[in-house]
Amino acid sequence: MARILFTVPPLTGHLNPALAVADHLSAQGHRVAWAVHAKQIGDKLPPRSWVYPLDAEDQTPALDAPAVRGLESVRLFFEDYTLPMAERMLQPLEAIARSFRPDVMVVDHQMPGGALVARKLGLPWATMVTTTASILRMSPMLDAWVAQQYLALQRRYLEPELVVERPDLSPYKAIVFSIESLPGAAQARLPAPYVFVGPAQGEGRRPVDFPWDWFRPDSKKLLISLGTVSRDRDTRFFEVMMAALAELPEVQAVMVAPDALAAQAPPNVLVRSYVPQLELLDRVDGVVCHAGHNTVCEALSRGLPLIVAPIRDDQPVVARQVIDAGAALFMRHGKVSPAVAKASIEALLNTPTLGEQARRLGGELRLAPGAAGAALEIIELASLPVRDSRPQRPTLAKVA
Amino acid sequence: MSTTPEAILALLTERIRSTVNEDWIQDFEIGLETRFNDDLELESIEFVKIADAIQAHYGNQLGIIAWLSGKSIHELIGLSVGDLVDYIHGALQPQAA
Repeated sequence: MARILFTVPPLTGHLNPALAVADHLSAQGHRVAWAVHAKQIGDKLPPRSWVYPLDAEDQTPALDAPAVRGLESVRLFFEDYTLPMAERMLQPLEAIARSFRPDVMVVDHQMPGGALVARKLGLPWATMVTTTASILRMSPMLDAWVAQQYLALQRRYLEPELVVERPDLSPYKAIVFSIESLPGAAQARLPAPYVFVGPAQGEGRRPVDFPWDWFRPDSKKLLISLGTVSRDRDTRFFEVMMAALAELPEVQAVMVAPDALAAQAPPNVLVRSYVPQLELLDRVDGVVCHAGHNTVCEALSRGLPLIVAPIRDDQPVVARQVIDAGAALFMRHGKVSPAVAKASIEALLNTPTLGEQARRLGGELRLAPGAAGAALEIIELASLPVRDSRPQRPTLAKVA
Repeated sequence: MSTTPEAILALLTERIRSTVNEDWIQDFEIGLETRFNDDLELESIEFVKIADAIQAHYGNQLGIIAWLSGKSIHELIGLSVGDLVDYIHGALQPQAA
């Protein structure tokens, strides 16, 4: 039986895949412990989990969603969230790792504090990558900026010979919750031993009530969602979608939006603040979303074509991947008008190739081993001895 | 072929409108202060198309993409139409002997 230490940031899209993988490991009798912000996400862990709380030392605020978009949100995420948290987590995480003595650490790619601790202690460790945007090179300047951010952090904590360009990616295994054909070959990847396992799938989500008899048998059905982070951002996008759908009475749409918008909704739009997303995806003909990595993979797994209206973080990159794969249409989140939205919805429902490409990708996604495959990869690492058999470290690329 | 900043701005504005090709952009006021990221929500693939069109127009490799890839994240976030006009204007000047 292996001892496995998970550490992930307190963000739903990062926690859910980890929960699914940990379920498989626990079911096989392995000893799983969590180093997490217990006050923020402790209630989402299974009962009787072994938890080392990180919030005692850390007052990491919940990631709020300031009204930034595009590259600005990437800068904010690094400079104001991930890196300061990594710095504060180094000492507590090292103490936890020394106390629990894991055979292997499982570290989310946006929890680099855990990656540095594993490196310092010579522990085998795997990176969990929850978005394909994180494995791609950007421009030389942007890559150098990221490396520079990590360099300062590493120099304050690690011996110089342990410093690398991208400490967030494990030299043992980087487990990517996607399929290789989504990032494709258009953009160069950062060097790392990637294993593509496909989506972890949504084990462990709580049940949500839904009025299923609202659907008419003869309608075309859509799910419209901007995800949990951007749902409450502003209402313009939702109002535009409602105006467009008012002109398309043959379509019925469930829109994940603040309840207050229900009063303005035309009869063919149902506004709900929470929905059972996976069950809904089994019923609809298409999806309008923000290109969040999880939502895109869940929709494609069911062969559903998408309209993608990316807003922030990795969303523009994920949106481009699924458009280039032929399974999605682009929508400009902050600019789209009712007329353009109506034309896009009509194109979504009347362009057979979109569905064909979505079903092609869906077939690949469903064949991928998912959380069970990720669990197997982790167990392989657990049998490696500490320190001695570390794989060759990637050479330190020169950082500007 | 005019290479004044005013002419470059007019060309750039026209290329932005035709590349975005959505209803809102036709009346959207585009000036030197207009930012590609915040004000236009331009996709990077659209920026590349616009750059290619400008370079084709002047029959010249202006090196716009190389110039862009040398920008820091802070510069990219705030990149404006005026920044690009300035760069193109500079790149079109005959080299001093």
